[in-house]
Amino acid sequence: MSRATGPVVEARGVSRRFGTFTAVDDVTMHVEPGEVVGLLGANGAGKTTLMRMLLGLLPTSAGAARMLGGPPNRARRKRLGYVPQNLGLYTDMTLTENLEFVAGSYGTPVPALPDEIAGYARTLVGAMPLGAQRQAAFCAALSHAPEAVLLDEPTSGVDALARARLWDTIREQSDAGVGVLVTTHYMQEAQQCDRLLLMSHGRLVAQGSEADVVGDTRACAVRTDDWAAAFSALNAARLPVILDGRAVRVADVDLDDVRATLARAGLEADVEAVPATIEERMLVLARAAG
Amino acid sequence: MRAMIRKEFRELARDRRTVGLLVGMPLLLLVIFGYAANFYVDSVETAVVGPQASQLADTLPDVFDVTTTAPSDGQDAARDLLRDDEVDVAFVTGDATTLALVDGSNLFAAQSAVAAIKASGADLDLEVLYNPDLTTAWVMVPAIIGLILTFIGTIITSIGLVREREAGTLEQLAVMPIAPSTVILGKITPYFLLAALDMVIVTVLGMVLFDVPFNGSVLTFALGAAIFLFVVLGIGVFISTISKTAGQAIQSAFFVLLPQILLSGMIFPLEAMAAGVRWIGYLLPLTYFTKISQGVMLRGAPLSSLWVSFAVLTVMAVVIFTAATLRFRRDLAPERRSTGAAAESGDDTPGDDTPGDDTSSNDTSSNDNSSNDNSSNDNSNDDNPNDDAARTTGDVA
Repeated sequence: MSRATGPVVEARGVSRRFGTFTAVDDVTMHVEPGEVVGLLGANGAGKTTLMRMLLGLLPTSAGAARMLGGPPNRARRKRLGYVPQNLGLYTDMTLTENLEFVAGSYGTPVPALPDEIAGYARTLVGAMPLGAQRQAAFCAALSHAPEAVLLDEPTSGVDALARARLWDTIREQSDAGVGVLVTTHYMQEAQQCDRLLLMSHGRLVAQGSEADVVGDTRACAVRTDDWAAAFSALNAARLPVILDGRAVRVADVDLDDVRATLARAGLEADVEAVPATIEERMLVLARAAG
Repeated sequence: MRAMIRKEFRELARDRRTVGLLVGMPLLLLVIFGYAANFYVDSVETAVVGPQASQLADTLPDVFDVTTTAPSDGQDAARDLLRDDEVDVAFVTGDATTLALVDGSNLFAAQSAVAAIKASGADLDLEVLYNPDLTTAWVMVPAIIGLILTFIGTIITSIGLVREREAGTLEQLAVMPIAPSTVILGKITPYFLLAALDMVIVTVLGMVLFDVPFNGSVLTFALGAAIFLFVVLGIGVFISTISKTAGQAIQSAFFVLLPQILLSGMIFPLEAMAAGVRWIGYLLPLTYFTKISQGVMLRGAPLSSLWVSFAVLTVMAVVIFTAATLRFRRDLAPERRSTGAAAESGDDTPGDDTPGDDTSSNDTSSNDNSSNDNSSNDNSNDDNPNDDAARTTGDVA
């Protein structure tokens, strides 16, 4: 089997409309072999719809989705692994039975279980902890040595340790030349990607490194003893305020506006301009279009 | 409590299937029991044969609807007419006493005929064929076999398929390198086998417990059952494509099952139904399977005399099974559709191929696809509470 040399998945001006609603709007993107690409965006930004079109699960309204050098079809999907958000495992079968089904469908040997989930071999998947279920879904999706792996929110709902393990697996794959596309909400995960794509309201609005995605968006860091009151005051003023631990931050708003709002609320605070985070950039984009 | 009641009404009004059940079912039952629930057959199809056929035909009571008068035919021809279900009663003239042959496999017609013959006080020999004691179980068991096949085919099969949709594994199957036809055949083969096994058990039990005879060819019976199974499995697959949850599948299957029980002639004789309701019976597959199973088991009818039922079931099987699998295929192989749709950007009709669920147009509000579909798709991201518990996003109005 010859490995694809070009992009493992690619969208060329892809759009998807549902009635009058445009879920994905003229998106062009690609994932190269050995690359981990993070697909970011708020809920409803079109990440999953884009991924489903790349997989050929959903027809495009315009543009072309391609995988491994051609339009999505059964032969190409055989060289691709996919972990959907809901994992796609049969919860009423044991882990081994699930892997046997997958292996039988791909015509590959049943994969060996990673140590962390080896103890669940005879456990019904539905009875496994979510972290172990996700690892099992990875194991199933990777069992046929795919050249491209698509992961939709692969680590949601799992603890930090399990998430770190899953990222080890993702990295192993990319080191072996597999192209990985991963949607995520978690900013720490975004930082582990080689390249980021940021979607907002169906459009691809930024791509590149974290700095590229954030662009020149700035944020105000508000330092105050009464963070709860500061948050309430800024939120009441309908500013894009984020609470990060006990630190209050306001995305993309003029320092003076923030100071004035806090002053009106009778709060004393130290306000400082800082580079925005990806999350704040997403918040700004969501507000701009919403 | 008022809030609760109002909420319940609102939810009910949004659930078209339940509204259909609430409104349609009482109407259906009213119509069926008003027009169809009649055990008394007041018109029995009758043949009169032998030299005095014409004279006798003129003197028979009204209940006998003489459809065949054949002075040149004898008793053998009369028995063939009964076996082939051409008529329910045959009078054979020519001997010293006229012989009345009654088809006992058509229970209610037979009961009417026997009662009329006895009431007339005429001096004739009466012979009830195929079910001499007019036992209800004998005609019921062959029909119940069909009902069980219908039950497995529609309810169990559709639940089995909808479960994949509910669990999201259908999407995984679509991504796997399995041909859609393999998925469909692989899904329904177990149900086909289970239904066949169930059928054998019920048939044998019926014979053992109720002494139901099996006079005809097992092969003919098996062929009829196999064709019928394709019809009901097709219905099951079809129901699964218009249902998102097992509950919806059961509701839909109920709509299919109830008329079959009441209008297939299994309980109420088709002959006794008002014409306006009877035609529904002739649209139902169980009607034809019952004709085959009763024909083969009780009358020992050969394939040649049951060909109409076989032909109707075959057409139904081809049409329903093809339609259902094509519909099901759409969920598994969307790229086949996309080739044309992708080339031209403007032909994407609202309500068609929605993400994750091709069938929403049939159940919930089909006109608000945009919001609905988006939520069924991307909003599934929603329920991941953000990473750090303490991190809260402010007003994102």
